[in-house]
Amino acid sequence: METIIIDGLSYALPLFIIAIGGIYSERSGIINLALEGLLGFGAFTGGLFVALLGKYFTHAGWPIYLSFLVAAIGGGIFALLHALLTIKFKANQVISGVVVNIVSVALTGFLTSQINASVFDQPSNRFLLSVLPRYTIPVLSDIPVIGAIFKNVYPFSFMIVVLFIIFWYIFRHSRYGMHLRACGDNPQAADAAGINVYRTRFWAVVISGALAGIGGMSFAYSISTNFSPAVYMGAGYLAIAALIFGNWNIMPTLFACLIFGFARSGAYQLMRELALPSSFSDLAMTIPYVLTLLLLIFFSKTNKAPRALGEIYDKSKR
Amino acid sequence: MEEARVRMKTDEYIVEMKNITKRFPGVVANDDVSISIKKGEVFAILGENGAGKSTLMSMLFGMYEPDAGEIFVRGEKVKIDSPNEAVRLDIGMVHQHFKLVENYTVSESIVLGIEPIKHLLGVIPYVDIKSANKAVQELSQRYGLEIEPTKKIEDLQVYARQRVEILKMLYREAEILIFDEPTAVLTPQEIDYLLGIIEKLRESGKTIILITHKLEEIKRVADRCAILNRGKLVDVLDVETTSTAEMARLMVGRDVLMEVDKPKAQFGEEVLIVENLFVEDMNHFAVVKDVSFSVRRGEIFAIAGVSGNGQVEVADAISGMLPIKSGKVSLNGRDITDLPVKERTDAGISYIPEDRQSMGLILDLSLAENLVLKSYHDAPYSRGEILNKDAFLQHAKEMIEAYDIRSGGGATGMVRQMSGGNQQKAIVGREIELGSDLMIFVQPTRGLDIGAITGIRERMIEQRAAGKAILLISLELDEIMAMADTIGVMYSGEMQKITSADDITSEEVGEYMMGVKHA
Repeated sequence: METIIIDGLSYALPLFIIAIGGIYSERSGIINLALEGLLGFGAFTGGLFVALLGKYFTHAGWPIYLSFLVAAIGGGIFALLHALLTIKFKANQVISGVVVNIVSVALTGFLTSQINASVFDQPSNRFLLSVLPRYTIPVLSDIPVIGAIFKNVYPFSFMIVVLFIIFWYIFRHSRYGMHLRACGDNPQAADAAGINVYRTRFWAVVISGALAGIGGMSFAYSISTNFSPAVYMGAGYLAIAALIFGNWNIMPTLFACLIFGFARSGAYQLMRELALPSSFSDLAMTIPYVLTLLLLIFFSKTNKAPRALGEIYDKSKR
Repeated sequence: MEEARVRMKTDEYIVEMKNITKRFPGVVANDDVSISIKKGEVFAILGENGAGKSTLMSMLFGMYEPDAGEIFVRGEKVKIDSPNEAVRLDIGMVHQHFKLVENYTVSESIVLGIEPIKHLLGVIPYVDIKSANKAVQELSQRYGLEIEPTKKIEDLQVYARQRVEILKMLYREAEILIFDEPTAVLTPQEIDYLLGIIEKLRESGKTIILITHKLEEIKRVADRCAILNRGKLVDVLDVETTSTAEMARLMVGRDVLMEVDKPKAQFGEEVLIVENLFVEDMNHFAVVKDVSFSVRRGEIFAIAGVSGNGQVEVADAISGMLPIKSGKVSLNGRDITDLPVKERTDAGISYIPEDRQSMGLILDLSLAENLVLKSYHDAPYSRGEILNKDAFLQHAKEMIEAYDIRSGGGATGMVRQMSGGNQQKAIVGREIELGSDLMIFVQPTRGLDIGAITGIRERMIEQRAAGKAILLISLELDEIMAMADTIGVMYSGEMQKITSADDITSEEVGEYMMGVKHA
């Protein structure tokens, strides 16, 4: 039980921050299938940063924390591609998202091998990261059952909780958040109210890239302690499923992410208990996805997507 | 009232538009138009559909820029290149199609763009919805525009959405208020209320520009009236000293008969029989309760009723747009209760729906394609699975000629670019060409000008003479009284009364409509 909670949370929280990014983009009216590519590129920049620093400062703690910032910047910059294609050049948002994903996988794979060969003189397709310390909060962790929430916590989990509060506040209560939601519902109305629809959407997409980058970096640390193509394991798509399941609202999406996280860790635990051979773990990995499918079938009827989602906004059209 | 008019009116011009010309591909929307509007007056702009009224005012609101001409506001020459610039000059506009964020509350929609900001702990900014609610409440009381600030837009009816749009302008402290055909979407009671509001706004010193083609409204609230015809300014008149007949003549450029000539009815056998019809809405709420009636060949059967009393649902149930809960609908003796829409159309139903833009047409298809929407799968428009576009165009050319449909882009032009009246002509033409035995007209003349209304009513009479059964559903009592052979009145989902039009006065119909009188 304890492992299910600990592992479940350390999977659910990065997924959640990626999904928040997706909510920002989609509530502004831009479909974001690019989350997968954005989290990968963010993790790549963060990983590269750690690898480069590691060359000069071995085993220092601070590059770890800085790497999340770098990953956010990397994800944000890569999201410019999606923003430019969909907002400036008015490309189809689904196609743009898919293209960003494909480019991300290819580009990071290529660059990782090249940089490893030329800078670090070793043929490898991964950047090695250091093992993250994990923290246990005294007292709180002694509570039966739910105490597990406070045991063996990754530092990024704390960071994600803080970011979640900040971005929830911006989304719900700030002027920008209000404009963003208006753009996703009726861009003509937003425009008539003097809001710059293009700019609002542009920043929403960039924010989604930055948050996806942070989520990707978290996965790179927690799942494999390195950056490698293995970081593209579908978390971006799962985040999209979570935000749809969460009806494009932040709070219900947290709930969805927790379900997915616990379904995953629960499945692993089940494999372990039954002492099944490791070849079954691939099957276990599909559990969150199958669950997604089932949940979407039952709940998507009442779901309401942002009205202008996917609508290319053209000021000159009436 | 008269005193107020005199008191507020000054001779100072607040808006002057000089020699304005605006061209769109294929059409001159405004041709050298000059108007001057005084501060504190209600200035009406009258004209048929496509006369260029909306275009002229869209330029004052910065949505288009004129190709030639100058605009002066408060005596200063201005260049209005965006709605934002117009708002800065204290100009506000209520568009025909509202621009509201559906999932926002009333007050969120009103303050959008200029939200009141407060700071959490003195530093973290947030949008102060509470004070927005209060401000909206105050505004709504000051001008008598009743509205609940915390209600969601998506839950509001059309008239309430319009109030939100008006409050939006007032919140921005607009002094010059443009209303683009504000009554086209309203019921008679709601129109009355709105005109009252407009009078109140004038009393408080606002300048109001009212785009309309309804003469009674102008007579009631306007001080002066500019008349446009095909993009040209015909005249600017003093409303008090001009008769409605004179205004109508100037507007259409010829003498109009307000009444259509209706020969005596020749009833044949029953075409449509509706028996004990029950219909439920999406929330399983009964909207049509036990309705029975029949329509004969050569008869116009009109259903009167205040908006939302189940009339439209009756039409939707007959045409197959809404499922029938219980009861029976038969056409020419054949039970069509459970047939799908396409088979009903083939069985002989033509349907002119209430909402022409979302149900009647596909706005982004060409006029030619829209004209064959219900017949494209038959010869000569297709052979097997292959469409014959030449036949589409040929057909469209004939229809444009026969039904006087004016489209800037011709047969291949997008329907979206056409004016509302011409869109309606296209639908009516298409449905008549189907040659169906039953023709259902729902609000066929809503939002149209006198010329177009007369045209459509004449078509209806023509079809009646050709032995068609016609079911007319209208919110306008005048239309019902002018057209119907038989009148049915619905109230709260029930048919209150069915009688020959000769045996009932409009006052009595009104009483049944309001549920005051029961059969």
